[in-house]
Order: sequence, then structure tokens, then C-alpha cells
Amino acid sequence: MVTVREYFGNITNAVRTTYKGMKITLKYWVKEPSITVEYPDRIGGLRSEDLVSERFRGYLKVETSKCTGCLLCMRVCPIDCILIEVNRRDDRRYLDRFDIDQAKCMYCGLCVEECPSAAILFSKKYEGACYDMKELCVSHVSSPVPAARPAKKEAPE
Amino acid sequence: MIQHNLPDMIYKFLLGISGLSAIPDFLLVTASYLIPSAAVLGFVMFVSGMLTYAERKVSADIQNRIGPNRVGPFGLLQMLADGVKLILKEDIIPDAVDRKLFKLAPYIVFSGTMLAVTVVPFGGPFIVADLNIGLVFIIVVSSLIVVGFLMSGWASNNKWALLGGIRSAAQIISYEIPAALSLFTVVLIAGTFSMQKIVMSQGPYPWDWFIFHNPFTFVAFFIFFISSLAEINRLPFDFPEAESELVSGYNVEYSGMRFALFFLAEFANIFISASIAAAVFLGGGNIGLDPYESGIGFQLVMVLIFFAKVVPLCLVTIWIRWTLPRLRIDQMLSMCWKYFIPMSFACLAMTAIWMLVFNGNGIFWRMNG
Repeated sequence: MVTVREYFGNITNAVRTTYKGMKITLKYWVKEPSITVEYPDRIGGLRSEDLVSERFRGYLKVETSKCTGCLLCMRVCPIDCILIEVNRRDDRRYLDRFDIDQAKCMYCGLCVEECPSAAILFSKKYEGACYDMKELCVSHVSSPVPAARPAKKEAPE
Repeated sequence: MIQHNLPDMIYKFLLGISGLSAIPDFLLVTASYLIPSAAVLGFVMFVSGMLTYAERKVSADIQNRIGPNRVGPFGLLQMLADGVKLILKEDIIPDAVDRKLFKLAPYIVFSGTMLAVTVVPFGGPFIVADLNIGLVFIIVVSSLIVVGFLMSGWASNNKWALLGGIRSAAQIISYEIPAALSLFTVVLIAGTFSMQKIVMSQGPYPWDWFIFHNPFTFVAFFIFFISSLAEINRLPFDFPEAESELVSGYNVEYSGMRFALFFLAEFANIFISASIAAAVFLGGGNIGLDPYESGIGFQLVMVLIFFAKVVPLCLVTIWIRWTLPRLRIDQMLSMCWKYFIPMSFACLAMTAIWMLVFNGNGIFWRMNG
């Protein structure tokens, strides 16, 4: 049997607990900001590349205008994922081919450290999903580009 | 006193612009009844679309998420995307269903919902039919929905759908009683069932509203609000479609546009229950002027006031959904039969005694003299 005291106790209990719960959700509704990180793209022009840290090691990028064609990166690469062809024509050296196989690359960064003219760098791009693994082999030179002349060493004083 | 209503006003307006041309009279009469009905139908569809957006946005805010923000500014056009998606979906009718009932059920649910809208006073003269039994009409047609729910549950030939249909019958029929009894406290005070007259007999200020008329109407308002949550199958009373128990309840076999009808009816119901609560207890769109005689500007202000009361109530309905867990079915029924019905009956009786003792005056009305 439910006594009168229990009966009204139940009612006040229901009102009190409902009030408590509603207060908590109201706090989350009004005050707490959203903690969702929007991916892959955020509203307002931010891309996924903008979310990663400063020293992030993404895809390798090559500035062919700086590249001297010294082949240091190709030689230092421990897994041979860089292939460069340099040919001399009309007294100038031309970069005929500069392929980087991003599927093989292990992002060790040795090529970036070795490059004397800072032509090869890490970009922040990391979304490389594609339908064929061959697409991951990126060609950075489509038509032959004249290689940059190496800067003259300054005489030590 | 001249009997005002919206179709008559539209009829006179149409007669005015057509003059004595060859348009037959019955066409004008049909048009004057069809125009407000179609307008209200479209409007309520729009409102229920916006409520789906509000539901998703509020739930996201409460759960520290972002919610829809891709379609249009702030995701406001999400409902268009949802509507297009639902229209393009394949309309599946399973082999084992009772085809006739299966096809009929969504329309019964939807029309039951939309019938209730016809007597909702949107403020000013904007009420499709100001019936002299408006409040009773709402109570009757809102329990018509249960026929559609049972029908869809039975016709689906699915155990979950059937359980959902039966639960909704048990729930809606039980909660019909406290909802009706708490609405009748107001009828005792206003002395009329007509929604427009109930709104007109209140005032523009909070102390003129029926919710603050006496302590028992104050309790009755909350009883009505909670029982209307149960009647429209909202949490914490969403037994007919309890996701974790019944998958989706009575509408589990429906897809495409038939499902969308159930869905729209559900969200339109939120709006209807909020607008009944606002009109009956919170003074509706009353700004202290005559809704028929004042200018169009004042009439639009009345509509604004009405929605300023309805929208917070809708948001509270959504807020409750994302706060409270679902009750057990025996708790739901014991809550109705042991608590709500005695309390609402006590409210009705005490309001009647109050009216006798204080000669029909409320607390604040008495203070004002």
C-alpha cells in the first residue's frame, strides 16, 4: 500500500529530479560549445590541411624552379621512391622526369634534409585515397624544365 | 452580435473583387473554405519541417555537437533536402501486409493531425473554423490518430509494428483523460468551448492568462502539457516507437512518402499541442484588441504574439526529449491512472468550487478589483 506521504513524496520527487535533469541539459544547450571537429572540410574555408601541426610530414612537394638536379635526394632515399632523370641539351641541364612514389615513401625526411636548395619539402596534404595505387606515383615534371643553377658558394672569411 | 469567421471574410472579399461577374456562387463558397484550409495545411507542413530542423539542432547543442549546417545558411534548408530524399525513395509495400489498410493508415494519421489544426486560433481572425465546440473537436480528432496507428501496426504484419500500435492505443486513450480534464478547467472559467472566445476572454498580460487564474489551472497547465507529450508520442512517453525496444514501432515497415506522412504528422502534433497550450492557458494571440475589427497591422502583431508563445513551448518539448529517459510501460500507465487523472480531476473540481466561492474571479483579477 502506498501511504499518503509516499504518494505526495513521489510527486515532489518527480518534479525535483526532472528539474535537475532539465537544468543540466539547459546548461549544455546554452553554455557548452560544440566539441565536434568537422572533417574533411570546415564551414568557413578551412581545409583539412589547415588542421595539422606546423611540422606535419605530408606528401612531398617539389619546387622545380629551385631544383638543381643534383640527385642527392634520389641517392639518399632508403627505399628508392624518388626517380629523377636529368639530361644535358644545348649546354643546359634539363629535368626530364621527377617522380615520387608516395605509396612507397615512408616519410623519413632524409631527402628534405639533404636537399641543398630546399626544393623538396613536406607539404601538409595527407588525404591520398584513390582507386588505383599507380595514381599515388606523383610526377612533378610534366614537360622538361631547365634545372636551376647552383648558387655560388660564398668564400669563407 | 455578428458571427465572424475567416471563410465568410474571404467570401466577402472574393465577392468584392469578382463583382457581379459570371462566377457561380458555389465556386466562391468552395474557394473561401479551400483557401484557408490549403494555406494552413501548407503552413503546418512548413512548421513541422522547421521543427525537424529545430529538433536536430537542439539535440546537437545539448550533446555538444554541431548539427545540420551544410544545406543553406546554418543548415536551414535541411528540410528541403530531407523532403526530396523521402520523395525519391522507393515506396516499398511488403508482400505480407494487408495492402488496403497499409495504404490507408498514413492518411488517417495525417488527416487526424491536420483536422486539429483547423480549430487552432493563430491569432487575430486567422482561425479556419471557429467551431462552438472547438476544444472538444480537438480532443476528438486527436484521438482519431490512434485508429491510424493501430491500423498501420496491424496491417504491417510485423510483431514490432503491432506492439507499437497496441501500445499507442493504450497510451493515447489513457492520457486523453487527464488532457481533456485539465482543458475543461479552462472551459469552466471561460464558459465556452470555442477556441477564439477562450482566447478573447483572456488578456494581453500574464496575470490575465488562464494559467494564473487560480492555483489549480496552474497545475492543470502542466498536467495538460505532460499528457499532451504522451498523446503525441514524444519522449519520455514514446512507447509506440521506442527505438531500443520496438525498432521504430508502428511505422517500421513504411518507407518513402508514406513514412514521411507519419513523420510530418508527428512533428505537426508538437506544434498543435504547443499551440493549444498557448491558446488555452497562455492567452494565445490576445493583445487586448478585438481580433476582427482591428487593422491588419494589429492582426499580424497578434499572430506574432501567438508564435512568441508557441515556439518556446515547442522548444521545451524538444528539450524534454533530450533530457528524460523513456519510462517503463507500467510506470507510464500508473503515472496516468494513479497521479494524473486524480490530480486533473481534483483541479477540475477545485476550479469549480473556486468559481463558486470567488464569484468567477481569479487571484489577480480579484486584486485588481
